[in-house]
Amino acid sequence: MNTRDLVLIALFAAIVVALGLIPPITLGFIPVPITAQSMGVMLAGCILGAKRGALAFLLFLLLVAIGLPVLSGGRGGLAVFAGPSGGFILGWVVATFVTGLIAQRFVREGQPELRQFIGFFLASIIGGIVVLYAIGMPWVSAITGTPLLAVATGSLAFLPGDLLKAAIATLAARAVFAGYPLLHVRA
Amino acid sequence: MLTSLHIEGDSWLHRLPVRAKLLPLVALSILLFLSGSLPVQLTAFVISGGLYLSVGISWREALKRVGFVFFTIFFLAAVNLFFLPLSEVGVLTLRLLALVLFAAAVTATTTISAFMDEITVLLSPFERLGWVLAADVSLALGLVLRFVPDIFARYQAIREAHRARGLPVRPLTIIGPLIILTLKDADTIAAAIDARGFRRQ
Repeated sequence: MNTRDLVLIALFAAIVVALGLIPPITLGFIPVPITAQSMGVMLAGCILGAKRGALAFLLFLLLVAIGLPVLSGGRGGLAVFAGPSGGFILGWVVATFVTGLIAQRFVREGQPELRQFIGFFLASIIGGIVVLYAIGMPWVSAITGTPLLAVATGSLAFLPGDLLKAAIATLAARAVFAGYPLLHVRA
Repeated sequence: MLTSLHIEGDSWLHRLPVRAKLLPLVALSILLFLSGSLPVQLTAFVISGGLYLSVGISWREALKRVGFVFFTIFFLAAVNLFFLPLSEVGVLTLRLLALVLFAAAVTATTTISAFMDEITVLLSPFERLGWVLAADVSLALGLVLRFVPDIFARYQAIREAHRARGLPVRPLTIIGPLIILTLKDADTIAAAIDARGFRRQ
């Protein structure tokens, strides 16, 4: 790995930490407050691509594990992995990787703007929502004994917020792609 | 801005090497997931809770750290009451509480540098395979800690710029510039690292 990639990974992990410091926004029509940090998965995949995005999140999880309060709300430490949402937190790495794979496959420079938007949006939804929940929900169910169906029903409350995050991440990722493209690894 | 969750102290948990804390944590989680007995879970819960409170942490801080995880555990326990018999809900809930408390105790008694030393050891097999350099991981961690305050200051500057122009502060209009401005520094930082020969390549 060259030094530039290493620095990009570290800077993105730092961005994810900083996103956790931004106070969460509550919207009237969505029951759950929106934290900027959970958009990090979609952003990292769509901006840095599969490998570097996943490594940025691995680095971020390392910060959590060694006891830095970097999760939004000042949470951190090994306890968050032992809790029910540990699967979602560990799933971030895989989710970022999948988001990055799809984004790299479908988004190219010189495509019409709309196609790039669609590519980023699909990547964010499949990676950042489908894959993440496919890991996180069975984990919750396995660890707490709550039936998977009940967990899935409860998770629906997060869906509108997640779709909104995918939309914001799409627009932001496309802005970065136009201004400073990093998605495809430079030779 | 980024203060570690480590608590200064001299309890015997503080003096144990990291590995002697992480291995029992792993062992405890395996044991508790294999056991379905309420007394076992209750004992583990009492011991873990005792350990956590014995590390010199104030009640308030202790509760603040595990509060959110506890909230999700109790919420799911309340949901479980509709589906499972009471004794089983008790086992499931106590098991999670015990593990969370034990993990929080390990975090509170271990310094970042002790964790990093352990990570270096854990990475050594991968280092031999040529997959990753432990020094790179430390360098990346150091970079994150170095740049978080800068990035947050940049976020505040962009927010002020919005206000100065009378624009509403929206995540969308902030995140794009924040990421571009931050990642554009990568080339300069990488050049500075290489110029100092930190990675010996």
